[in-house]
Amino acid sequence: MLNRYLKSALPVLTSLMLSVSVQAADMTDAESIVKQANLASYYRGADGRSEARMIIEDSQGRKQQRQFTILRRDHEEGGDQQFLVVFSRPADVRNTVFLVEKHAQGDDDRWLYLPGLDLVKRISAGDKRTSFVGSHYFYEDVSGRNLSEDEHRLISTDEQFYLLENVPKDPGSVEFSRYRAWIDKATLLPMKIEYYNSNDKLYRRVEVLKTDTVQGFPTVTRSRVSDLISGGRTTMEFRFIAYDLGMDSGVFSERSLRKPPRQWLKRPQ
Amino acid sequence: MRSAVSSLIVLSALLALPAQASEPADENWGEDDWAEDSWAEEEPESRWHGFIEAGTGQRIHNDPAVGRAETLEDLRIRIETSGFHGDNSYVLKGDLLLDGVEEQAGIDLREASYSMTLSDSWDLKLGQQVLTWGTGDLLFLNDLFPKDWQSYFSGRDTEYLKAPSVATRASYFGDGANLDLVWIPDFTPDRYINGERFSYFSPVAGRNVAAPQGRIDAKQPDNRIANSEWAARLYGAVSGTEWAVYGYRGFQPQPNGVNKSGEPVFTRLDVIGGSVRGALGQGLANAEIAWHLAEDSDGDDPLLPNDQFRFLLGYERELLPKLTLGLQYYLEQTLDYAALERSSASPYNPHEYRYLYTTRLNYRMWQDNLTWSLFVYHSPSDDDQFIRPSVSYRFDDNLSATLGANLFSGKRPNTFFGQFEEGSNLYGRLRYAF
Repeated sequence: MLNRYLKSALPVLTSLMLSVSVQAADMTDAESIVKQANLASYYRGADGRSEARMIIEDSQGRKQQRQFTILRRDHEEGGDQQFLVVFSRPADVRNTVFLVEKHAQGDDDRWLYLPGLDLVKRISAGDKRTSFVGSHYFYEDVSGRNLSEDEHRLISTDEQFYLLENVPKDPGSVEFSRYRAWIDKATLLPMKIEYYNSNDKLYRRVEVLKTDTVQGFPTVTRSRVSDLISGGRTTMEFRFIAYDLGMDSGVFSERSLRKPPRQWLKRPQ
Repeated sequence: MRSAVSSLIVLSALLALPAQASEPADENWGEDDWAEDSWAEEEPESRWHGFIEAGTGQRIHNDPAVGRAETLEDLRIRIETSGFHGDNSYVLKGDLLLDGVEEQAGIDLREASYSMTLSDSWDLKLGQQVLTWGTGDLLFLNDLFPKDWQSYFSGRDTEYLKAPSVATRASYFGDGANLDLVWIPDFTPDRYINGERFSYFSPVAGRNVAAPQGRIDAKQPDNRIANSEWAARLYGAVSGTEWAVYGYRGFQPQPNGVNKSGEPVFTRLDVIGGSVRGALGQGLANAEIAWHLAEDSDGDDPLLPNDQFRFLLGYERELLPKLTLGLQYYLEQTLDYAALERSSASPYNPHEYRYLYTTRLNYRMWQDNLTWSLFVYHSPSDDDQFIRPSVSYRFDDNLSATLGANLFSGKRPNTFFGQFEEGSNLYGRLRYAF
């Protein structure tokens, strides 16, 4: 009993100690901040599962929904990752499964399983800054942007945030000219990111609306992307999150595309 | 046309109710009021879903062999459910179809399957199911599983290009390679062009024929164990490049042989082949080969299909954000061609080398709600083409519409696509999914 208590308390304690130490001495190196923020956002635990749902609203307020369960496994911290996304809503994508081998360097490998045709379709590496399943989120917002693609500069540090200015090394490859990220000093989660276009007009905002601590890890549970030009926006919520489930690499394979892995998809008890 | 219009009216009446009923649910997805029940819906062991769809299609030319203008008059109700039974799962999926062109009503059971995990490395799937493998985009070399050409040519959803069969699929998952073994006890042919909906070229008549006189109703091989179909795929991946080796034993999926009484028959077919697929540059490249070993292995019987060598090269990449381009080269070589020429002086003999190119362009806009698609088959050897433009719009999460065309043309009356020139059609479909 004591042992179990200690086990569950330990990560909490560790993360408390970490946040204390972070607060005690502000970081000053932009590269280390973005590296830590990347780990905090996309690499918590060796693997994880979550259910997610989105409301997509266009400029006229018309709404669409998406609902899916997402499984993730890291090959290495800060490096390559695997994702399996199983859709349950809406009707036209129900039981569609999406598999990604994310490569920190180079293009991702992506597959889509279409159950009506029993077709495992490999998808060519696409622009990562296009809509994820029709929402205002980009693929890159969901799986992370390669840190080496931007120059990062620490502009200011206040009580709560590190404010970073980021400029793409290859401006032709992206739709923005720069973006600013407000990174929470305690959790190292980016709480707000604002993108500017080539006319230096603010046109896109990604913001965290709610975080929770799950197994000791500060975790985003609600966020929103707003298209400030069209007025459209997407709100995404995560629930039933669990880390360090012990999934092996085989969970992320053609076998799971055709027969989604019940063991990991069902809600943790 | 009248029945298509009336089915659209029926559909819109049906749509009115669920559309209103779903309003309050949408309210729950408001800004700060996420409905708890929406999460709850994720978990139940079983749920019923489906769609109602009306489709209508019209010939753009007059086809004297068929005599009617309609190529599609569907009212379709899909009901499906799936769930778990322990760690095993089941899927039940069926369509109730009122078909105004063939003037019949019936049930098309798309899937009734049970999937089991036998061990860490073996899965088994039993029952009615759709099966697909191979790397071609709307071209098939090693995939001999049943296809529905009538649906494909008349503008039904692409899902209906694949027809189901009653099969047992055993899958082994190993460290270096995986294996699929498929057994279809009762040979299941394609839903081929039989003269009912579209006319086809008859080499005997020297022109297009159609039902009732020209209806093809080929007798299937006796339902015996020796006549069942076997298919196997051994596959794996080496640093991102996928490889596969395929084998098949069964019958030609279409009755393209003729017996001594002059009747069309399904003749024996064995196939071996292989494929590779991987990233190349900023896109994806694939190559596939297959040897079709037919009953007439010497090639000297003009009534039976010869052996064939099939070859495919493909490349796909995103040209611009949201715009995808796919290109394929496909070759069908008739083997023992000299023997065929010696034994048949028919002007309608196939070319020794039939080859074609396909081009796919897909473009998504308006937050992916509007999709433009163009798929073109063009064969320089046969001098014919098949052009498939379509545009789909999602009004919301339930209602969607598709408009499109199937445009066939060719220089000669007997070629693969050219024979369907007078079957060229425009179609529209409206679907409400629930």
